[in-house]
Formats: sequence, C-alpha cells, structure tokens
Amino acid sequence: MSAAGKAEGMGRDEQAGIRDNSGQLALLMIAPAILYIAALIGFSFVLAILYSVSDITTGDPTLRIIGFQNFAAILDNSVFRLALKNTFFFAFTSQILVILLSRIVATALMKEFRGKWLARFLIMLPWTAPISLGTIGWLWMFDSIFSPFDWILRYFGLLGSPGALLGPMQNLYWLGVPGLAMASVIIVHVWRLLPLATVIQLAGLGSIPKDLLEAAEVDGASPWRRTLEITIPLTLPIVSIAFLFGLVFTFTDMTVVYVMTRGGPIHTTQVLSTWTFFKGIEGGDLAQGAAISLFLFPVLAGIAILMLRMVRKSEVV
Amino acid sequence: MGKQVKKGITRREFVKAAGIGTIAMGVAPSIILPGRSYAAGKELKILVWSHFVPRFDKEWYDNYAKKWGEKNGVNVTVDHIGLAEIPSRTAAEISAGAGHDLIEWIAPPSQFEPSVLDLGDVVKEAEKRFGKMHPLCRRSSYNPNTKKFYSFIPGWTIDPGCYRKSLWEKAGKAEGPVTWEDLITYGGKIKKDQGIQLGIGLSQELDSNMAARGLIWSHDSSIQDTKENVVLNNPNTIEAVKFMARLFKEAMVPEVFAWTAVSNNQALIAGRASFILNSISAYRSAQKEVPEIAKDVFFTPALKGPRGTGFNCEHVIYNYIVPKYSKNVDTAKRFLLDLVANYDQAMYASELYNSPAFFDAPVPSGDRGYPAVQGAKKLRDLHNAWFTDDPFALPGEAKGKLLPLKDAEKWSTNLGHPGPANPAEGEVFATFILPNMMANGARGMKPEEAVAQAEILTKAIFAKWRKKGLVGGKT
Repeated sequence: MSAAGKAEGMGRDEQAGIRDNSGQLALLMIAPAILYIAALIGFSFVLAILYSVSDITTGDPTLRIIGFQNFAAILDNSVFRLALKNTFFFAFTSQILVILLSRIVATALMKEFRGKWLARFLIMLPWTAPISLGTIGWLWMFDSIFSPFDWILRYFGLLGSPGALLGPMQNLYWLGVPGLAMASVIIVHVWRLLPLATVIQLAGLGSIPKDLLEAAEVDGASPWRRTLEITIPLTLPIVSIAFLFGLVFTFTDMTVVYVMTRGGPIHTTQVLSTWTFFKGIEGGDLAQGAAISLFLFPVLAGIAILMLRMVRKSEVV
Repeated sequence: MGKQVKKGITRREFVKAAGIGTIAMGVAPSIILPGRSYAAGKELKILVWSHFVPRFDKEWYDNYAKKWGEKNGVNVTVDHIGLAEIPSRTAAEISAGAGHDLIEWIAPPSQFEPSVLDLGDVVKEAEKRFGKMHPLCRRSSYNPNTKKFYSFIPGWTIDPGCYRKSLWEKAGKAEGPVTWEDLITYGGKIKKDQGIQLGIGLSQELDSNMAARGLIWSHDSSIQDTKENVVLNNPNTIEAVKFMARLFKEAMVPEVFAWTAVSNNQALIAGRASFILNSISAYRSAQKEVPEIAKDVFFTPALKGPRGTGFNCEHVIYNYIVPKYSKNVDTAKRFLLDLVANYDQAMYASELYNSPAFFDAPVPSGDRGYPAVQGAKKLRDLHNAWFTDDPFALPGEAKGKLLPLKDAEKWSTNLGHPGPANPAEGEVFATFILPNMMANGARGMKPEEAVAQAEILTKAIFAKWRKKGLVGGKT
C-alpha cells in the first residue's frame, strides 16, 4: 500500500472511531447547541454580572468595578422591594389560576361534543398571537372610558346608576385602581398561558390508561375519588411542568405590565422586568438595571432544576 | 510538451477579474457623473423620532434632509423611530460604537455626555449667526459642571393648558382658568353640574411628569435649586401635594391614575375632559377628527400658584447629539446649523407644534413653502404673526385662539428648573417620582409622607450621578 493509501485508510479509521464512539459523537452533535447557548445566553449573562458590579451607564460604557454597591442600593429602594413582591404575587397567582382553569378546559376537551375543533382552535388562539398585540387588545378592553366590560356592567345595571352594585360611577377604571390593575395584569397572564397549560394537561390526561379509570368506575369509585386518587396523582408530574413553565414565563415577562400599566398606578403593578427597564435603560443606570435583573436568577435557576427533575420523573412514569 | 490549452478560468484569474470589476463599479460613477464623486465619499445618518404631527416627517423633514444632502454633496439617510424606542436605541448604538451620526432626543439626553461630542462650537457659531439661544434650551443642553454642551437644540414645544370654552362659560369663567385654584373652583363646578371631569394625569407617563413639575414650580418649589442641590422636601411642595389631593377629589376621577401619554388627548377629543395640560397636538388632532370639539378648545398660559408664580415645562425639546464614534462630525454640525437657518419651515410644517430655539434667526428670502408673512424678518415675527392668526384654523373658528401662547417662552421652562437639566433629573423623570408623589397625595397618603418618600428616592439618584461628576450640588 502506498503512503497516500495508508494515510487515507487511517483517516477512515479515525472517522469510523468517532462514529463508533457514542460519547464523542454526542459531544460533536451537541456542540452547535452549546456554542449557541454560550454565545447568546452565556455571554449576555456574564456581561450582566459584570455590569451589576460596575458603575456603567447607558451613556458611559466604561466598566469600573465597584463591588456590590448596586445590590445594596436596589435593596434600599422601596420601589424595588415592591416590584419583587409583585413579581412573585403575579407569577404564583396567575399560575395557580392557569392550572385550575386548564384542568377544567382539558377535561371538557377530552369529551366528544359538537364544535370541539372550534373550541380547541379558540383556546389555542392566544398562544399564536404576538403577546404585545394581544396585550394592546386587552389595554383597550380595560380602557378608562371606553371599556366594553364597563359597558356590559352598565347595561345590566351593575354600574353607573345610583344604588348599582359596583357603584354610581360610569367606569370601574380598571387600570387606575391598584386592586383592579393587579387583577387586570393577572387576567392577561392567565389568558396568555392558558393554551399552553391546556395542551400539556390534555397530554397528561390522554396518557392515563383508560382501563384503570374504567376499573375504578366499575369498582364504584365516585368521579371525585377517581380524580383525587387516579387522575391527579398520575398527571401531577406533567402538570408540575406546566406550572413551572408558566412561572418562568410570568417571572420574566415585561410586555404585559409595560403595555398595560407601565407599572402603575404608583408602582402597584411594577415588576422586576419593567423596573429593570425603567431604571437601566430609561433612567440610564445600566449597572443598577443589571443588578435588578439578576435578582431573579437564583429563583429561575431553582425552577429550571425542578423542571428538569420533573421531566425525568415523568419519563419514569 | 505541448502548450496547455486552458479551459475556463483559474481561481487567481477570477479573483483578479472580480477585483477589477469592483474597482470599476466604484470609479465609474465619478467618471460618468463627476458631480457625484464628492457625494459618494460623504455620509450622514440621522435618527429622529416619529413626529406627533405626521406631515412634519413626510412632507418636510425627510424632503428637507434629502435636498440638503443633494445640495451639499452628502448622502443623507433619515431613520424614524417611535418616541419610546429612543433611549434603548441610543444606548445600543453607543455601546456598539457604531450607528447614526446625529440622534434626536425629545428630552435632555444628559446621561450620554461621556459618549457624545461637546457641541459648544456649534452653539457659539449658531449664536453668532442667529442670535441668542433661548435660556430654557441652553439649560436643557449645557452641563455647567463640565462646561460642555452635550447636545444642540434647534427647537422646542410649548405646553399650554387646553380648556373647553363652552363648559367653562357655563361655569362662569369663559376665559378659562388663570390660577391652579380656578381648576378646583370652576373645574369642580363643571364636574358637579355638567358631569365632565378635569384631565391632569397622575400616572407613570410623560404628561403626568410634566404636570407634576408645573404644579410644584407654580407653588414656588422644585426638585433641585440652581446649584443642583435637592430641595424637594419643603412646605411649598407639601402645599402642592395638598392642592393635588383637593383637585382630585373635587374635579377628577380615577382614570388619571391609568393614563398613557395619549390619554389626555383622547379624553379631550372624546369630550370627556374640561381641561388638560398638553401641547397643541391634542387640538390639532381634534381639528381633523372632531371639528366641533376643536372649535370649543381654547388655551391658557401656565396657571399661577398661590403667590402668583406660573411655570410649565417645555413639552418636547429637540436635542441632537453627535456620538463620539461618528466619522462625519463636520457634516453633522453643518446640518444642524442649516436646520436652524431653515427653522421657519419646521415651525410651519409642524403646524406650530415646533417653536424655535433661536427666535432672532432671520427668515430666509424666496418661496419658503408657506404663505409669505408681510414684514416678517425674524422667526420671532413669524411666531408672533402665526400665533396671532393661526394659519391652520378651521373655517369659522374663533380668531386669536393661540394668542395666549405668543409669549410662551416667558412661562415655559426646562426639566430641572431652576437649575439645569441633568442625568439625575432625567432618572427622577424616568422613574416617575413626582407623578407618584402627587398620586400618593391624591390617594390619601399624608402629603408630608408622600413628599418625604419622593425625597428619599430623589436624593439617592442625585448622590449616584454626583459621584460620576455629571451633577453639581452637595449630598
């Protein structure tokens, strides 16, 4: 065999080696994804950490490290503390509602009825619309003057007349009253995430062996008992995934609050993502903005770990 | 060995041919069109906001910039973006060290001072050619601590009060409110008897920020003094917050807590507000959409406080910055000077939304694209003539409606009054401290507590920017 032929043969052997070595092959296949994550997420994350311990501003990109002063400053700020509280409140309240409602919707969709495809289509619609457009739609629905909800309430005599249940005023001022503004934000989050949770719940319900439910029914188990002892335990891992997904979406979302209330009235709907933007970009203090945005990292990392564990658990199930 | 016959071309030959082709493409226009050889070497990229008066961009600014480019042998590109996108876009371009040569802000961009050029030479040249710049424009572009002009201002926008005459007439005050107290006396009466509320925002948005400033200035208070010391927590601010609490109770409804920047316009046009604080854009929109409401809209100067002081914040102030990365600095500076020289057209094309920073600039001769104004030699003359007899008034509309705005520069002031605009004032504005202070008072918080809360947040912001050397005063 000539030298060239030997070299060619060795090359083939090496290639065959990689193909046969599943570890190396896996590494090679996953490399693009790792590179992508490192470039687009890892780089930004490291930059955010650097910014948070510096005194960088939007107008002065020079990095001077000042330690943890930004974290101390944001903790000292009453608006930040309120935004932190609101972030948790919005995320957990909306996700609890999403899970409850999606279970009801999924259970209904498991049954056969006329127009089921239309119902499915309508339920999925919010998920397909860009969130900013959907939120602008809701902004109009909650308008101070022209809200159709107010119109309906007035029509049924519940608002806008002396002695009306909700008061004599012509409008409820959904986004102008703290409690109603918070409720409005939660309603939009629920509307947005309900389709995803419903699809996940449908998958979970569909995976329960029918014979198990039928056997329980034959044994005389009531619908409540079947739900509590079969359906819920068997779908819990997948429902938990829906819950955690929703939490991450809500924790990190800025659009809903920014479009609807800009954090008002008086910061009562302010959340960390919007406060990061107002402080870091509009206010020019990029360093404090980065520190605020990093505050959620431990929580989100914890949720991500939980999600991964749930996925593994559901695979076992 | 026979001569090798070449089939096709080698890679070397391809690269060579492509290179020659590229050079030829570049050189050809200068051989065929000698006049364009200069233009090909010069660029000017401008980023401006999408003006509230759409015809300003479409019919004037873009054409003006194009023609200016043709005349000066410069390839001018104008990009328009929404008002809300300006801060993030500027930050991104500064961070990347690349982008537009000129960026227009509609608020003082003082936080960008370290990354933009000192435009003191442009201001000096402009004052030499066009006379003194209006003081509010100087205070919105000059940092007295670093002695730098971080921006250049060719114009600004007046922020008057707009009221519905028919409603105020019925309430016994046909000439509209003169003092803040009138808003309670007559505005309250209008709400009670005619069911129409007042519309002064108490929300986390632009106009609410302006209104809160106007109110405290008219009560002889401010966020900072002339030396940039925080002086917010004083009896006059508390008095202003108490006033706002009364005003809300007597004349407004909770919609003002949820307002966006366009809400007061919408309320006025919908006939749901007896008085708002806004530029004339609300009135111009009404002229086009609901003429009967427009005919009923009249204007007031800044309302006077309990001791006769009356100030309103400029509504918009056009600040152009030249980032340090720009490679077309001289061209950008020339564009700015020529923009001032042609500001008569900007005033007209904006339907009087834009007012000049240089009132003494001469009116250029010839056809200026608008009906000539007899005897108008300076922009001041044009301003006076147009605000006396509005060229955009609807047929049958009352004459002289804009007269109260004629001397607007006397009662208009800058963000940061009585001191200069600075990054701390900018962050106080961006984080809505003043409208929330007023909203807290209106919602029943003790005025003293509302002001104390606002002071804590304000002082922290000032101390931080002071450390960077961009704000004066003492911590």
